[in-house]
Amino acid sequence: MSPSVGMQKGALRIRLFIAGESPNSLAAQRNLQRVLKANPSLSAELEIVDVLKEPELGLRANVLVTPTLVKLTPPGERRIIGNLNDTGALVALLGVDHEP
Amino acid sequence: MKSRVREHGKTSLRRASTGISGFDELTGGGLPAGRVTVVLGDVGSGKTIFGMQALIAGARDFGEPGILVAFEERGQQVFENLHGFEWKIGAADQKKIGVVDAQLSQAVVHGGDFDIIGLLSMLSAKTKEMQAKRLLLDGLDVFLANLPDPLHARREVFRLREWLQENGATALITAKTGPDELRPVREYEFLQYMADCVVTLQHRVVGGTALRFLRVAKYRGADHSANEVPFSIGRRGIEVAPVHTTELRHAVSSERVSTGIERLDVMLAGGYYRGSSTLISGVPGTAKTTLATAFASAASNRKERTLLISFDESPEQIVRNVASVGIILAPHVKSGILKVCSLRSRAAGPEAHAARIRALLREHSAKNLVIDPISALAQAPADNLAEEAAIQILDLAKSQGITSVSTSLLGNRAAFSEETPIGISTVADTWMHLTYVNQGGERNRALTIIKSRGTGHSNQVRELILAASGVTLADVYSVDGEVLMGTLRWQREDEGRRADERAARDAGLREREAELALVETEARAQVIAGERAIREATLERIRVARQEEISQATANATELRRRRGADGSRRNSAKKVPRRSS
Repeated sequence: MSPSVGMQKGALRIRLFIAGESPNSLAAQRNLQRVLKANPSLSAELEIVDVLKEPELGLRANVLVTPTLVKLTPPGERRIIGNLNDTGALVALLGVDHEP
Repeated sequence: MKSRVREHGKTSLRRASTGISGFDELTGGGLPAGRVTVVLGDVGSGKTIFGMQALIAGARDFGEPGILVAFEERGQQVFENLHGFEWKIGAADQKKIGVVDAQLSQAVVHGGDFDIIGLLSMLSAKTKEMQAKRLLLDGLDVFLANLPDPLHARREVFRLREWLQENGATALITAKTGPDELRPVREYEFLQYMADCVVTLQHRVVGGTALRFLRVAKYRGADHSANEVPFSIGRRGIEVAPVHTTELRHAVSSERVSTGIERLDVMLAGGYYRGSSTLISGVPGTAKTTLATAFASAASNRKERTLLISFDESPEQIVRNVASVGIILAPHVKSGILKVCSLRSRAAGPEAHAARIRALLREHSAKNLVIDPISALAQAPADNLAEEAAIQILDLAKSQGITSVSTSLLGNRAAFSEETPIGISTVADTWMHLTYVNQGGERNRALTIIKSRGTGHSNQVRELILAASGVTLADVYSVDGEVLMGTLRWQREDEGRRADERAARDAGLREREAELALVETEARAQVIAGERAIREATLERIRVARQEEISQATANATELRRRRGADGSRRNSAKKVPRRSS
């Protein structure tokens, strides 16, 4: 979504798989946006995939549950499943220093 | 193969055939089509094999593409695990099965509540794309374990059920039960509730032998037997013990096949019926194997493919042993017409043995089957299963027109009774019993035909004689209701022969005397007849002479009256004569 500004922390590309407007999917988007906003130094390329509209992408990525957040780069794919209410896990994955 | 879908009863519940031998029969056609079946079982109980067998049968044999959703192992791994089976799927058919790998990596981080809405929508797309009619969700328990609490698990299971109902495919869900096999963990209670059909698989070790049982715990909308049924996993995958058919539909043959022993053929009015089953029971050493192999030899001589199953004795041993009594099997084994197979009785459970024998019968295209001894099935501790397995084998043989001869060993305890350890004597068409009879310091083998359906058989006991030249039965010699054998029989027979000769001579003499008497009588009859003729002739002559005399006298009197006077005075003169004289 927002293009990366710098490469100081390495290019961060993340993809969030959601299932339409289900409560967990909406919550995950909300939580993710909040953390990103709280860490303006973090330059992240976020892509949101709705598996209801693009099931093929979900299948290919082996997404079992929604929501699933996948960190694509830097290398070493990592995943978080869930609505991201547990921001500790999200913060750890993004590699930011502090919680919002 | 069966038709894919079968109408059943009033409910018109459609069935999806699983291709699993025995299971479709048990459930009246297979899984409920378009509905949900849950297969529960412990680790290694065969859940995945059951599911894959049904999925592959659908894709390969019934034109129903399917999707494997692999929760536990990767889909590719699941397919690789099937390589040992005969029904593993070819590359072309494998394209008819879609694979969705649905393992949640252990490394995945949990960051709050989640659901399977996404997965279901992806499955919907895949189902549509593949026109899938069958769905296997393998190892759902593995997925459910990721959910934080039973409440969440329940929520997702209900979500899944809703989706499945909408999806309309025949769904099969497998899930592990806890170590306490009979009481599934709480999540599975919902599973069982939501399912239309619940199948449980169990794997028990009894006395060192692994035994497998299948049970249809629930089948919505259909009558079904909820009893445990033994099953095995062999090269054909899962084979469920066939249900006992209450109606017997075996084609009945009136053709006789030789028992391999000429005198026994005579006793049985020509031999065993083709397609019948024969049981030969007896204590050790009474020549059961000899009798059974004589049949195998005769069948091989007729160029009929024959399978000889020997428990706990090697093929070489059998061939060598029976050669000593003139039963030569080696050339038949060499030519391949006779297949001798040794099984170790304790190596597997009765059902596994039965499955193996079924497979061997099929592989060898056997027309004849010898099992020596069938009682070996009861070596495993579950002897009620042994009986089931034995009946199954005989039933299968009959249904395929295979003539079978089985021996049954009796323990020492029941040495001289006619009770077999396995109740197959009721299934057998012919039952022969062998015993030792002690008489005059000898032990002789005695054969009794206890029953032989559809055959007028001799109820008498025969002596079985084994010699290098072969096997034969000796005529019985009974005295005072006791059958004599061995030397005693020979003595009695010898005495008997002499007595018979005397009797024959006496009879000849009496016959000749009688003949003579008859000839004499006939001669006398002729003489008397002659006398009678003479007397009749004499009588006739006398009568004729007398008649002539009378005629002459009358003629003389008339002449006299005519000469004396007028004709008219004849009456008056005649009247006057008596008056004058008085």
